[in-house]
Amino acid sequence: MGSLDPINLPGAGLPEPALPVLAVLDVLDRDGLPRQTFLVRAWPLRIGRSLDNDVVLADPHVAAQHLDIEPAGAGLTLRVGASRNGVQLGSKQLRGGESVVLPRAGEAPEFVAGRTCLRLRLPEHTLAAELALAETTPLARRLVPVLLAATLVLAGLLLRTWLDTDPDGFARAAGTVVLGAVVATATWCGAWALLSKTFAHQARFGWHLRVFLFASIATLAVSTLPGLLAFALSWPWLSDFAFVGTIGVAATALYFHLLAVEPARRHLLKWAAAACAAVGIALTLWFNVQRTDQFGDELYMNHLFPPGWRLARPVATDAFVDGLAALKSTLDKKAKDPGRGDDDTGAGDAEE
Amino acid sequence: MTLLPFRAETLPILVLACMLGLGLDVRAQGSPAVPGAPLEAQAPGLAASAPLSVPLSLSARKVYEQARSQLVQIRTVLKGRASQTSVGSGFVVSREGHIVTNFHVVAEAALKPERHDLVYVTADGREAPLVILQLDVLHDLALLKAADGIAPGGNTNTAPRSFDALAFRPEARGLAQGERIYSLGNPLDVGFAVTEGTYNGLVKRSFYPQIFFGGALSGGMSGGPALDEAGQVIGINVARRVDGEQVSFLVPASFATALLARGRDAAPIKTAAYGIVTDQLMLHQAALTERFIQQGWKTATHPRYKVPVPTDSFMRCWGSSEPSRNGGLDLERSDCVMDTRIFVGDYTTGAIAVRHESYDGAKLGTLRFAARYSASFRNERFTRLRDEHQTKPQCHEDFVDRNGLALRAVVCLRAYKKLPGLYDLSVLVATLDQPRAGVQGRFDVQGLSFANAQKLARHYLEAYAWAR
Repeated sequence: MGSLDPINLPGAGLPEPALPVLAVLDVLDRDGLPRQTFLVRAWPLRIGRSLDNDVVLADPHVAAQHLDIEPAGAGLTLRVGASRNGVQLGSKQLRGGESVVLPRAGEAPEFVAGRTCLRLRLPEHTLAAELALAETTPLARRLVPVLLAATLVLAGLLLRTWLDTDPDGFARAAGTVVLGAVVATATWCGAWALLSKTFAHQARFGWHLRVFLFASIATLAVSTLPGLLAFALSWPWLSDFAFVGTIGVAATALYFHLLAVEPARRHLLKWAAAACAAVGIALTLWFNVQRTDQFGDELYMNHLFPPGWRLARPVATDAFVDGLAALKSTLDKKAKDPGRGDDDTGAGDAEE
Repeated sequence: MTLLPFRAETLPILVLACMLGLGLDVRAQGSPAVPGAPLEAQAPGLAASAPLSVPLSLSARKVYEQARSQLVQIRTVLKGRASQTSVGSGFVVSREGHIVTNFHVVAEAALKPERHDLVYVTADGREAPLVILQLDVLHDLALLKAADGIAPGGNTNTAPRSFDALAFRPEARGLAQGERIYSLGNPLDVGFAVTEGTYNGLVKRSFYPQIFFGGALSGGMSGGPALDEAGQVIGINVARRVDGEQVSFLVPASFATALLARGRDAAPIKTAAYGIVTDQLMLHQAALTERFIQQGWKTATHPRYKVPVPTDSFMRCWGSSEPSRNGGLDLERSDCVMDTRIFVGDYTTGAIAVRHESYDGAKLGTLRFAARYSASFRNERFTRLRDEHQTKPQCHEDFVDRNGLALRAVVCLRAYKKLPGLYDLSVLVATLDQPRAGVQGRFDVQGLSFANAQKLARHYLEAYAWAR
């Protein structure tokens, strides 16, 4: 039987025959931080729920003799005992009776027994560098990008408001927009900070604020640039599919927000954000087809800018009218579809 | 371009004098929905009261007595059920039992024969089925025949009847403005009635000739005859304006005589008449395109550009000017629309609208003007009818050069599902040469062949140029 120090149990720290520490077994919390650490002083290391194990886990999803680990050649052999749930090692699922060799070098291996996340660290495993405490960076340096981003967002919003209001109504509209933006930002980032505090034990308000501000800047850019380029170059498809950019920005922002809530699951979050983006794009395409029979957002390019910003050359009237001929086959094909008979366009009767 | 409806007093809302009870106002479907427009006038009861308060002259009594037996009410009945879906009027024009009425009175039966039957009811309560022989969609007429009438060629049915017929007033004998005429029918299913009014000549700016009847028509009288003092038919009740008093319309009798001549011996139409409707609309669009191009454009419509505004031979134009109250965009507007629309069952077609808005953003500056100009360009709808009637619009767009004047042009087309080969055309244009001013125009034509849609799109675009 191996010798072991549960360092956070009573009796830890009492004088003991000083066997050298061969390894450390961490029980990890969902935020990636160790909840409990066991010092391993002898092999094999037996883990399970019954009391004759070296490491006794309380997790009801763990078997009596769940697994044991002992050195074998250059590595360590992890053998799963008589367990229903087995052991999850990375993407690999080990069933009862199976075994696998854990590397002695590189990153310390992490595996899940039942619902308990464990990490076995050996002296040979690489030790991650010390994380700096957030407070070590001077406040001024951390504030500068946030203030800069906030100024940019406000400037963008005010420019939009200015463009959309008559000269006489600007002051009042600007007040409303600024107040609205501040309240919305505080609410949004506050809600995320609450989530972070709940799951990762740190509010990370600054992080969420940065994510929100950068995402807002990106949103302003992706909602303006496609229209501008579509006008300048006469590329209607650019503004037609501008929603892809907007959804992309939203999904990225979601990923970074979530990262401060579930820091240990970076990989999973990446996939979740990508899935959100894919679903969002697919849904938008589907709604567009329902609405206009086309994938794009806009029936026609409807962004006009000062005439001097146009780069595309105008075409001759004849060439333009001849271009209509291409619509005929599409229209004739669609005319054969009897139609769903729904009332979604009934209001269109008011066209005249 | 923000399109505003017309002022209420100029509303071209025509209420067909049929379709009572259901509150169906078929012509009004295609008309601008104006806040405060007296659409309530469709409701049964409101419209019927006025004519009855006028004491009838002796001639009215004489005319009614003479015509009473030739007058019928035409009911569209749901197949297999006793309930009527709409009622109108009609009159007998031959001994064999030919009956003339409006197309819109029998449209449901003509276009959905699998679900509707037609019957006629005489003033003395006799009821019998009807068949449709011929349609004139463009003038809103239908030729029917009593199924219990004498078969053509003298062959008799099981119970042949001989009918009293009303005579048409010869075309050579014109009427003078102010002559008394009498309109007959069964308003609002209340009972047969005669209303008295005056002949006021032909309606101005109508694409097809229509008689302006200075008298009251009500729902249910559609298809009834209008008679002169000798009791001869001069026209057929068809529509009225709900925004005016006693402004009603008749189809000239000559179209009914032509229809009778054409369809007297025709075989009954038993299947949905979309083919006939399409053929007649094809003729209409050809005539419309030719006359529209022929009439040309007005000159001096804008100080800087030539902007297309049609001469108003069969269209009516209204203009307005709206200086901004908030130091913003000043705009002037011109709207030209046709009063004539062709009724084809669930919707109308065959009309043209030309409109433009001229913007001055000198007080706004370049960027603000561009934002406002863009918003106006965006604020356009290109969907008109429901999915069962029409495809969604398909558009073609680009910058178009008009001898140095750059335009952003969008052409959208919709195809009719039950009228193959017909399309709605919409052209949207914005001038792009001044940083703080511009003109946006829109051109809509309904029910065109593809070739004519291209032709009219070209005609409209080519009307834009520098004013010099």
